[in-house]
Amino acid sequence: MTATLGSTPITAPGWTGKPRSGLALIDCDVHQIISKQEDLYPYLSRLYRERVEDQGMLLPGSGYFNVPKRAARSDLNTGCDANMADHNIHTIGSQYELLRSQHLDMWNVDYALLTGASVYPASVIPDPDFGAALCRAFNDWTMDTWASRDERFIVAISVSANDPQRAAEEIYRMAGHPQVRAIMLPTGSRMPYGNRFYHPIWQACAETGLVVGIHPGAEGAGMAGSPTGVGYPTYYIEVRMARPQMAMAHVVSFIAEGVFEKYPTLKLLVDECDQFWLVGLMWHMDADWKSLREQTPWVRRLPSEYVLEHVRVGSQPMLEPERREQFFQMLDAMHAERTLVYSSDWPHWDWDDPATTFPRMPEHLHQRVFSDNARELFGL
Amino acid sequence: MAESHRVDLVAAFPPGERRIVVPFRGRAGIGVFNIAGAYHALRNICPHKSGPLCTGRVTGRAIATAPPSGRPLDDAGYQIERDGEIIRCPWHLWEFEIATGRCLVDPTVRVKTYPTAIEDGWVVVYADEADLPPQP
Repeated sequence: MTATLGSTPITAPGWTGKPRSGLALIDCDVHQIISKQEDLYPYLSRLYRERVEDQGMLLPGSGYFNVPKRAARSDLNTGCDANMADHNIHTIGSQYELLRSQHLDMWNVDYALLTGASVYPASVIPDPDFGAALCRAFNDWTMDTWASRDERFIVAISVSANDPQRAAEEIYRMAGHPQVRAIMLPTGSRMPYGNRFYHPIWQACAETGLVVGIHPGAEGAGMAGSPTGVGYPTYYIEVRMARPQMAMAHVVSFIAEGVFEKYPTLKLLVDECDQFWLVGLMWHMDADWKSLREQTPWVRRLPSEYVLEHVRVGSQPMLEPERREQFFQMLDAMHAERTLVYSSDWPHWDWDDPATTFPRMPEHLHQRVFSDNARELFGL
Repeated sequence: MAESHRVDLVAAFPPGERRIVVPFRGRAGIGVFNIAGAYHALRNICPHKSGPLCTGRVTGRAIATAPPSGRPLDDAGYQIERDGEIIRCPWHLWEFEIATGRCLVDPTVRVKTYPTAIEDGWVVVYADEADLPPQP
């Protein structure tokens, strides 16, 4: 059986959605990953190319073991050796054809946001120029080897938050390309992102209309703060549980520092940090704003009003409530019809495919989450 | 029968001061405030969580025209307006406009106000608007 999601038949197993026309499926988190550091050589200056050739990219990791195959889906093995020895996130995440055939075409994805990942830690390394150079090289590689091959791609460029001026330069350099619609920063950072240190980045995004994306990465790595407020946990599962903490810290910071008052058109996309934390954040921050507004009077509206206007949350990893009705209660409480966008996290093991990530949603909510919210966010 | 209560002598109740009295029914009482010579009375029960609203700090309302980043330190966009006209409940610090009972952090909330009058040199609070004597 086939169904039609956009304009062509869907062949993916398990899909039970009704046929629909128009923009029907936008994926807000698809990773394109370099297969090896040599991929970036054509885009690096001689100075940095020679250093990377000699000593590697020196990008710090968070220091936690992910799952085997370096977090890649093990069912994706195209292009790998028969014994799968070279099967990992680099061989899988670097293959456009694999993404096209196993995700974009299979689900008839209308747009996919390329969110990168290979140079997220450039935001937390000590040398701001090298960090900026790595991001620029990665962006050029992305445009040449991914964006130019498929009109369905929109791009969240990587910038290094460690030097906001350099980041702004990269934003102005790239923003003219019609496929570039966002920037992507790691959750790992030296300070909460609302801090005035970062405002040149937000100003550049506001002036160019790029969405500010935040995605897990570089937590506790390099110059970033520890992944939780109480220090370094021991295991990977603990760092995953810390993602909502980091997301909340950044979103609260944007609001409290008045970033959305300074840049009223700025939009924020928080990917892969869960989603239901948004409910507690809005309720608690609204309550505390009523008590503590005096200390940040430039926050002129209820915090939840800024969230609903400026903040969007990627669906993956979609939480699985104990009972089905709780799912819809939480979606209602987070105003999912405005705040939630579908994201898959291709090609990681914990990805969410479009058919099974949600229970069957009412038609209008399905359309908002799978398409309209993202379409409005990125101006598609 | 008109219910009224003599709060204090006008001469003994100068601007900036407050009295909390317990007339009529109930035990929580009424807060009476002299703001620049005008007397205002509020129920001493916060409509938020029933805290003793009228015992709170009388202050102004902080406002800012813009976030402080990028502004001169001495300005930072931070000003206090209507100083002495706002009361904040000691429980959770919600701001209320004393003259109207209007809550400034939640437009759906208002604290009950009572009419006041000056009679024979006394500040008098009435239980209800209908109890007020005819104005001379």
